[in-house]
Amino acid sequence: MILLNWIRENFFGTKLDVAMTITGVLFIYFVLSTVISFILNSDWTLIMVNRQLMLTGLMPQEEIWRIWTIFSLTSILMTISISFWFKINIKGSIFYILLLLIPFLIFTTKNTVLYVLLIMFISIVFFYLGHRSKNSKLKNIVSKIIMISWIILLPICFLILNILDGPKMTLWGGFMINLILAAIAIFAGFPLGILLALGRASSYKLIKLVSTVYIEVIRGAPLVAWLLLAWFVLPKFLPNLFGLSDINIVVRAMIVLSLFASAYIAEVIRGGLQSIPKGQEEASFALGINSISTTIFIVLPQAIRIVIPTVVSTFIAIFKDTSLVFILAITDLLRIGRLIPEQQQAFFGKSIESLAVVALLFWVVSLVLSQISRTIEKKLNI
Amino acid sequence: MTLYVVTMPSSLFTQFKSEDSIKKKLSLLIRNRNFRRFFIQFVFGIFLLLLFFYVVDKALNLELGFGHLSSRAGFGLSHTFIIDYNSNDSRWMGYFAGVINTIRVSLVGIVLATILGIFMGLARLSPNFLINKISTGYVEFIRNTPLLVQIIFWQLLLLQLPHISKALTFGGLSVWSNRGIYLPIISSNENGSLWSLILLLGLIISLILRSRLFKYKEEHVDLFSPNLISFFTFVVIAIISFFALSMKLSFNVPEVNINQHGTYIQSGGFALTPQFAAILFALVLYTGTFITEIVRGSIQSLPIGQTEAAMALGLNTYQRITLIILPQALRSIIPPLTNQYLNLTKNSSLSVAIAYPDLFMVSRTIMNNAGHALPMFVLILITYLTLSLIISLIMNIINRRVTRIGA
Repeated sequence: MILLNWIRENFFGTKLDVAMTITGVLFIYFVLSTVISFILNSDWTLIMVNRQLMLTGLMPQEEIWRIWTIFSLTSILMTISISFWFKINIKGSIFYILLLLIPFLIFTTKNTVLYVLLIMFISIVFFYLGHRSKNSKLKNIVSKIIMISWIILLPICFLILNILDGPKMTLWGGFMINLILAAIAIFAGFPLGILLALGRASSYKLIKLVSTVYIEVIRGAPLVAWLLLAWFVLPKFLPNLFGLSDINIVVRAMIVLSLFASAYIAEVIRGGLQSIPKGQEEASFALGINSISTTIFIVLPQAIRIVIPTVVSTFIAIFKDTSLVFILAITDLLRIGRLIPEQQQAFFGKSIESLAVVALLFWVVSLVLSQISRTIEKKLNI
Repeated sequence: MTLYVVTMPSSLFTQFKSEDSIKKKLSLLIRNRNFRRFFIQFVFGIFLLLLFFYVVDKALNLELGFGHLSSRAGFGLSHTFIIDYNSNDSRWMGYFAGVINTIRVSLVGIVLATILGIFMGLARLSPNFLINKISTGYVEFIRNTPLLVQIIFWQLLLLQLPHISKALTFGGLSVWSNRGIYLPIISSNENGSLWSLILLLGLIISLILRSRLFKYKEEHVDLFSPNLISFFTFVVIAIISFFALSMKLSFNVPEVNINQHGTYIQSGGFALTPQFAAILFALVLYTGTFITEIVRGSIQSLPIGQTEAAMALGLNTYQRITLIILPQALRSIIPPLTNQYLNLTKNSSLSVAIAYPDLFMVSRTIMNNAGHALPMFVLILITYLTLSLIISLIMNIINRRVTRIGA
């Protein structure tokens, strides 16, 4: 009876509701039937054959251990921070685990099963450790260690990719290059963005002018235009020192993405700076703290705290935008997804299947990130 | 520093002179706030100037100038709109055709994305479980995949429509094939564009008349309906101009024919080529998700009492939304909406991936053919900045209207 009432109220309350419900049912039926028949009728051996290509691009087989190392480090760090910082409810953790498992399972080959199991086991141990140390005396130290490891993760990844005569940068590819480019963009763009935001909010007229012009010009043109600029013009403007003038295309993409991200992050942080009440600064001055310390220790921490969710969504946007490096002929995930049906005879004409896998991978990562941002938002009570 | 010593205020100057050791003089300067301001900006300015000279020096080695744009283009464009362009025209002309294509896809995209976004935003707040979930699913899925993937997806999908010989016709009303989608349209004789211009003018006149009449009605008499009068004016203008221009309207239905060589030819109707349709669909769906979230956020930030009061007054759902909720929500919707419009316009440059000749793709072609990369970039930048400024300007005017109290 309650169910009947619920159905009547939800679906057939008014005439409009009835019409909407019927349209909705038809729409869902159409979409679901199309998608399901597509999934059932296509040949998914495409993923099985090309999974390594999609994940790592043209990286030679003997260099794959580097990727696995990075993968395991990241997943360990991720699990320990989730269990340490977030309140775990069963529903949420199942959601995360499932989402992270999908790409893992898709890309596991027979030779690497042991690897995957080992990483999973270590991750679970660290998950438990993080959970235990949440309420112990070591809380502060663990928190600091996790924070520092996140910061040094990216340099370590670079080190792992380059030590012992690593592969050429132009061989980097696949989903890895999307993740690396996005990470670099945010890693370099964030400090630069803070400086620009402070510059735009500063009372020094010249600095303010320069920051404003920089931000508006960068935001004025689309990312593809800037990437094309990196392709055609950037090398001619770099000084002829240390081989800077003929840097490879991946580094150029990194530079452009970082500069591009910094302008957007600056705008986000400026919003945070504006939302801090003027009284905070005045109180700090009244206590005799000078203006630099006031900015670094009083205003900025509060501003950044407010804008963390927005920064995460900027990060997601940049991550999605890394697919635009097609214009620089970098073999990122999307490009590989388009090349497979063109070059492998077994999969001629399977472009939609291939594209669906690409979309799914991007979607999973973005979804996890946006869930994390929502959790942070709740935790910080913004 | 000497420059500053000359221009510094006299009180500081006398103090500066009275100090004897150079060390004390320096510490006096460093502790002075105005001096610090000046000094930091001075150093920054010198650094900037050096950077500027460096960049100019490097730039002078490159090909500069726009001379190459006046010569023959030599490339054709698959889509031209309003202006006629062929490969014998100048590159300026080609670039201009590209700009028109960008404006075309952005304008149509902005209108459709706004409609989609408002409907989906309302649906996200609907108590109807099914509609609510459809909207949520739409936002969560489309927003989290790259736009480029979606553009390519739509193009692949549209190219998988049947060959023209087996085109879907939906009862002879339209032609759907891998050459594009052809929809029926009302067409007219050669005065058609003039007539639509007059219609637009009539619409503006009647809208102005309406607002004037409302003002008059408030101040003076309450005898007539301004809505009815302005509508009547519009109809009269439309009918008079219709007969004055001796218009003939006909219903133009696309059809497929086979010519004497056995090739299929479709004719008539309103054409959506796969490229244009792909970029349009992707832009509308992608930007629509962001507009959905903006609409939802703005409506949710309204006090719930507004809805309850409207219900208590006995307004139905449609009246509640159009008279109470949307006018108030619009105030906080428009600024972020402007941002999304700018994003849509910039994102239209991704059409380079599927060969829809927008301004970015045309400039890329010119760069490949004739070099001169740097001036082309400046041109691209100026064009996009101009487009952004125009959109911001229009939206600011709308914003001023909407936020006006009692409007």
